[in-house]
Parts: sequence; C-alpha cells; structure tokens
Amino acid sequence: MPRQTTVLKAQNLTKVYKRGSEEVLALDDVSLTVRRGEFLSFVGPSGSGKTTLINILGCLDNASSGRLQVGGRTIFDGRKGLSESELTRIRRRVFGYIFQKFYLIPTLTVEENVLLPFAFFRKPGSPPGVFDLLKSLGLEKRTRHRPVELSGGEMQRVAIARALVNNPEILLADEPTGNLDSKRSEEIGQVLKSLNRKEGLTILLVTHNPALARLAQRTITLRDGRILS
Amino acid sequence: MATQINVYQVAAKNLLRKKTRSTLTVLGIGLSAWVLLSLLGFNRGYEAALNKDIDNMGFQVLVAAKGCPYEAATLMLKGGTGLRYMNESVIRDILRHPQVEKVTPMLMQAVFDPNKGESGGINAYLGVDPATFPSLKSYLKFKQGGWFTDAQSHEAVLGYEAAELEQREVGDQLLIPEKNIELKVVGVLSRSGTQDDGTIFVPLRMLQKEFGQEGRVTGIGIKVDRRADISALENKLYDLPDVQVVSMAQVKETIMSLVSTAKVMVLSIALIAILIAMLGVVNTILMSVIERTQEIGIIKSMGAMPGDVFRMIWTETVILCLLGGGLGIGFSLALSKITDILIRRLLPYTPTGSLVAVDSGLAFLTLAVILGIGLVSGLYPAWRASRVRPLESIRSEGE
Amino acid sequence: MKNAWNRTARTAWTLILLTFAALPLFSAVGCDLNDPDRDVKRLFPGSTGYRTLYVSVTEKGGQELLRKIEARLGDVFKGLYETADVPYTLYQVYKGKELIGYIHGVNQKGRYGGLQVFLALDLQGNIRSFYFQKLTSQYAKLLRDASFGRQFEGLNLKDFYGYEVSTGAARGGSRVAAIRNPAPQAEDDFRSTLRAVKKNLILVDEFLLGNKYLEHGPKS
Repeated sequence: MPRQTTVLKAQNLTKVYKRGSEEVLALDDVSLTVRRGEFLSFVGPSGSGKTTLINILGCLDNASSGRLQVGGRTIFDGRKGLSESELTRIRRRVFGYIFQKFYLIPTLTVEENVLLPFAFFRKPGSPPGVFDLLKSLGLEKRTRHRPVELSGGEMQRVAIARALVNNPEILLADEPTGNLDSKRSEEIGQVLKSLNRKEGLTILLVTHNPALARLAQRTITLRDGRILS
Repeated sequence: MATQINVYQVAAKNLLRKKTRSTLTVLGIGLSAWVLLSLLGFNRGYEAALNKDIDNMGFQVLVAAKGCPYEAATLMLKGGTGLRYMNESVIRDILRHPQVEKVTPMLMQAVFDPNKGESGGINAYLGVDPATFPSLKSYLKFKQGGWFTDAQSHEAVLGYEAAELEQREVGDQLLIPEKNIELKVVGVLSRSGTQDDGTIFVPLRMLQKEFGQEGRVTGIGIKVDRRADISALENKLYDLPDVQVVSMAQVKETIMSLVSTAKVMVLSIALIAILIAMLGVVNTILMSVIERTQEIGIIKSMGAMPGDVFRMIWTETVILCLLGGGLGIGFSLALSKITDILIRRLLPYTPTGSLVAVDSGLAFLTLAVILGIGLVSGLYPAWRASRVRPLESIRSEGE
Repeated sequence: MKNAWNRTARTAWTLILLTFAALPLFSAVGCDLNDPDRDVKRLFPGSTGYRTLYVSVTEKGGQELLRKIEARLGDVFKGLYETADVPYTLYQVYKGKELIGYIHGVNQKGRYGGLQVFLALDLQGNIRSFYFQKLTSQYAKLLRDASFGRQFEGLNLKDFYGYEVSTGAARGGSRVAAIRNPAPQAEDDFRSTLRAVKKNLILVDEFLLGNKYLEHGPKS
C-alpha cells in the first residue's frame, strides 16, 4: 500500500439486514476517516452497530450503500462491492484481526498457530521466523505448548501474534478482552498500546470496557447505527 | 524453530481432533477395501486356475455318446453300468475332418469295491490308447516308470494320489475288485495338480475285453489343428449321429458363467460396502466442517482463499482414504490364505492352485478405486467449507 | 435343437468334472479314520469324546528315532510311501474327563493295494479290538471277518517282540504264533497285517505310552 496519511475513508455507509420478514437498519449514513498510526476505539450499547461498522471497515462485509476506500483503493461504491476472492486479497495484505473468542486451532502448537497464515499467504518482506514476534509478546517460553495449556491472556496474545505475522497495516480488535478478567484485560490493553506507540500500528478497537477505550487516541460513540460524536 | 507450515500438515492434524471418529472411518474404508481387493484377486486367480485345469485336459474338444447327460453323471457315481457308449467307428468319421490333428479314444469303467471303508466305494478305471493318449498329455511327468506300450496288456499307470492311496510302486500288483483281475503297475505319475492325479489308467483294448465292451468307447478326445477354427469343427461334428460334442472352451464358459453370476453379486456387494464406507467419510468430514465453521471463518480472515480451504478439507478426505485403503490392502495380503480357504468352502468347483491372486497391480487398482470414490465424496464437504464467509461464522459475537 | 443338446452336454460334462473333483479321496498320506465320530464310538462304546494328535517320526526325533523304531520292528522303512515324515494320527478317547484308551492306524503295503490297520488300545497298550479300514484282496471277506480280528484282542507289544517281520516266524508257544491265517492263498497280506500291527504298537509305545515296552524289546 502506498504511503499515505489516510488509510481508511468511509462515506455515507449504510447497512440493512433482513431478519425474517423484517428489515433492520444497522448502520445509517456513517462517514469516517482513519489516519495512519491512529488508535481508534468504538463504543456504544449493544445493537448500536459498532461491530457492523468495524466489519465493513475491515472488509469482512460489504455495505448496502455508501463508499469505502482502503489505502486509496475503492472497495465499495454504491451497490457494487468486490468479490469474496478480491476482498480476501485485500484483507491479507492490509488487515489483521482479533476477536473475543481466540479461535486458535487446538491441534496446533503456539508456534504453528502463529505460522498458520503463512500457509495461505506470505507477504513479501515478512520475517523468516516468528520467534522474535512471540518474544515481543512474552510467549517465547510457550512456543511448543498447545492452546489448552495456556491462560486466557496468553491465548489472546497468540491470536495477536497470528494477526501480526503478515505485517498488517491495520489491526481490527473486536471485543478482545470480552473473555478475560480485569488483570488480563489490562495486559492486552498494554500490548495494544505498545503496538500502536512503538510500531505505529493503526488499531480499530471495539469494546465495552471503558478503561480499554480510554487507551485510544480517539473514541467514536455509536447509537442506533449513527455516530454520535 | 519452524519457519513454515502447510495446509496438508494442518489437514492431517485436524483428523487427530476426533481420534475415535477418524479411526472408525478408516476402519470402515479398510474393510471395504479388503473385500474389493480379495474379490478382484479371486476373480483373477479363479480364472487363471481354471484355465490351467482346462488347458491341462490336453484336448480341446471331447465327443461323447448322446444320452441324458444327467443320467450318465449320476449313474457313474453309483456304478459303472448305465454309461452311454459310442461305437469306435465314430473315430473314422471324425478323422475325415481336415481340422482334426489327433484323436484318442477313451473308455471309462467303474466297479464297486466292498472293502473300501465301511460301506464300500467305487473304483474307476480309464482305458486309454497308448499310441495316442500320452502324446496328447505330454505334460504329464512320471515319478517312476512310464506308459504301457501294449494296448492289450494287463498293466496300469497310476496318478500320484491314486498310487499313494494304494501304496503302489512300479512292479506292484493292482487288483480290480468284483472281476478279480490283476494288473501290474508300470508307471506312477508325478503330481500334476489336475484330476489325473486320482486316475488309474489302463490299456483300452484290455479294458474293453475284460468288461465286455469291445468296439465301444465313452469319449473321444480331439486335438484341433492350431490354425483351425474350433467352432467350425464343432458345428460339423454335431452332424455325427448319436454323439454330443463338448468343447473344453465351452465347459470353461459354463463354469465361468456359473461363477460370474456369483461374482457380479459379490462385486455389487463390495461396491455397496465401499459406498457405505464413503458415506461414513462424507459424514465425518462434513460434521467436522460444521463443527469448525467459525474456525474456517477465521482462516478465511487470515487470508485463505476459497481454494485453500477447499484443498485443506479435501486433503482430510484423501488422508482418510489412503489410510483406509492401505489398511484394507494390508488385511487382504496378510489374510489371503484364509480367504482362499473360505472360498473353497463356498464354491462347488474349485480348481487346483491358488484361488486368490492378489498382486501389486490389483492393490493399486483397489487403492485407486477407493481414492477415486473418496475424492468424489469429499467434494461436497470441501465445497461447503470453501463457501463459508468469514463474517457469518464470526457473527455470533456479542452484538 | 442341436444347440440345446450341446448346452445340456456342456452342463453334463461340467457335472462330471464336478463329481470327479468331489469323489472322496481318503486321506492319502496319513491314516485317519474315515468317520472318527462314528468309528470312535463303535470301537469304544461308552466314550463321550476324543482328541486328535498328529505326529511324525521326523518331528519327534528325526533319523535317530527312525533307526530306533526300525530296530524294534526288525525291518527298515521302505518304499515311496513309508518315510520318516509320514504323519500319524493318534486318537485319545475320553469318557467325560477321563482318558480311557487310544486308537491308532497305520498304512501298510499289501499285495494289491494299501492296507489300513487300526487298533483300539487300553491305557496299558493292550489291544481291545482290531479294525481293517481298508484292504484290497480276493480274500478280503475272510480277513475282514470278525473272527480274524478277535485273535488280536488282549495282545500287546511284548507279545509281538516274539514275531519276526522279515521271516514271518513267531516264537513257539507265543500268543502271536497262535494267530491263524484264514486265507492261506493270501499269505503275503497276512504277514503284511502282522507287520502293520507290530509297527502300530511300536509307534503307540513311542508317542503315547512313553516307551513302556522298550526294555522288553531288542537292544538297538
């Protein structure tokens, strides 16, 4: 991706879901710009559309209308979106994802879990091994362990390592501490903060946790599919 | 530290998640592979053994007296009388045909031996012409002695097992019970693996005289000229009065058709077994795909294309089929002796020689069939997995 | 019409081939009872079961054992079919859990064919009954008559040590000398029978009785 200040630009995004015979407006005319190196948090009550928004920004879903540009490239314009394969190509170059559930593969070791994205795609310039990455997240002693032997915090850190292995431009974190206690949540928060400050990683964070939200540089509040502030 | 992992390794490890399920699936495939390979081996072995037996008859066409054949067969069991005879003059008529290379007349006679076991049994003697018979059966080798040369002499040549039963060697006497005729043993044959092992051969003229059957025979063996058309000759021979013509090729055909019906049935069962095993494979893989929907979504989010996911899931199918196929082939090779014994018990006529001929060619064929059907069965679950959209699978996040 | 005939002919010859394949060949090499279930009950009325053992001279002691047996027999093993690897079938007869006797048969070359001589023995090795399972001879009727077999009852190997197989001479006054040949024209079969009985008893002594009678026999 060419070096630009704006990494994400969303204009008038709407998203309509069909739930049975009902139509639900999950996002209503949302516009947003994200600059490189920004740490954004998205807050709001359940059903406010924050996850919907982040999914569209992260190219996991297409909007119903509006415009989205990622790194200067138009992803979605009007009704026309990219195919699943094209979205995949963009995802793997630009984004890394972590979720509330860690989604580690139980039959693979920590090391193998982190290497997994390399089975499908290896970005040019990515490191030959993952030891340094694991070490930076405090996991150098756990490389041969299976997920079942790790604590919640350790598992989320493995997920973070996996999300970072292909040097993404943007990290999407959807409720990453939802399954963790306060101590571990704090740990994860510090990891994210460190990644942003030291590595300049752009982070989009969805969270219910106010302490975590405060770690971000900018907080966006949503309600009923609209941005409040 | 490792620096790379590939989809095939991931696929293999995925199968270890539910070990019991994977093991049972592999066992199912193994059993069906075993059945298929044993059947293919039997198919080949039986035909080869039968061919050998038929070829060892020495003559391609047999002419016998016309009559109710079933009657002849049953009467032969109970005693020598009631056999249908042909006049020897038929030989002249046969020799008229240019396609005929050689003929040899034969007379089968039997007597009842009251001293065989508890309630007695029958002894059968085959009268043959020493001038023509040995050359038609040149593959017969002698353990001791040789053929009688005089068609009238009171001599006998015994097949290996017939000699062993009677503890006869060259120079010993042989008695025809009921008629109390003494014969001198002049030859003991080596094992040939055919019916000849249990046969007592005597000179034709002598047998005709002693049993009051001068001028009569029960069968004429015909060797057909190499270049001639056997069926054309048969058609001409049908014109001879009061005889029936049997070609060994037709005998083989009859037996094979008796067996092939059974074969078709059993092959169908084998295929059904394979299909059922494959259903097991589809079930196993599909269930694991459904169980891993969210995980597959995450893998997609990591950058896996639909093709990558398809390959990963399809690989799981391939691994199960290879393991199951290999296991079945192993069973089949190790237990081929037992399968041989089982089949001998079940079939009415079993030629001598190994019945189940399993070789590497057939093993590869079986593996290919299993793999082929497996790959087709694996298409749907793999396709389904590749269609998973990352969002749908992770959508169950708290909204 | 012709085709129908020939189809039937084909099937018929198939059947003939089948029947030849199915003709029972009595066990050629060894010497088994044709119908052990029936024969054991007949030879040991009151028995409830039996166990079958297979042994051969080769596996029990090889050439050395063969020489020992030949010395006791007073004759060598000869011919194509009397070899050290011939399997012998020994029947142990039971009443309930109790062993009550043995049955053993040997093949012997006769004048016109193979003889199969079976002996039913008590636990001491005395003959209880004598049975010709197979015999080919014009005088078979006389030799298979019950009166002939009865002459053997009560005899044991000690008695047979007095019988010389090579000459046919029996020690005067011995119980073997008292055995009469009902068919003098079949003297050779009679002598073959006695040889078979002596061989039978020696093998039983060797394989089942632990050489109980060895000391009474000739020194090798």
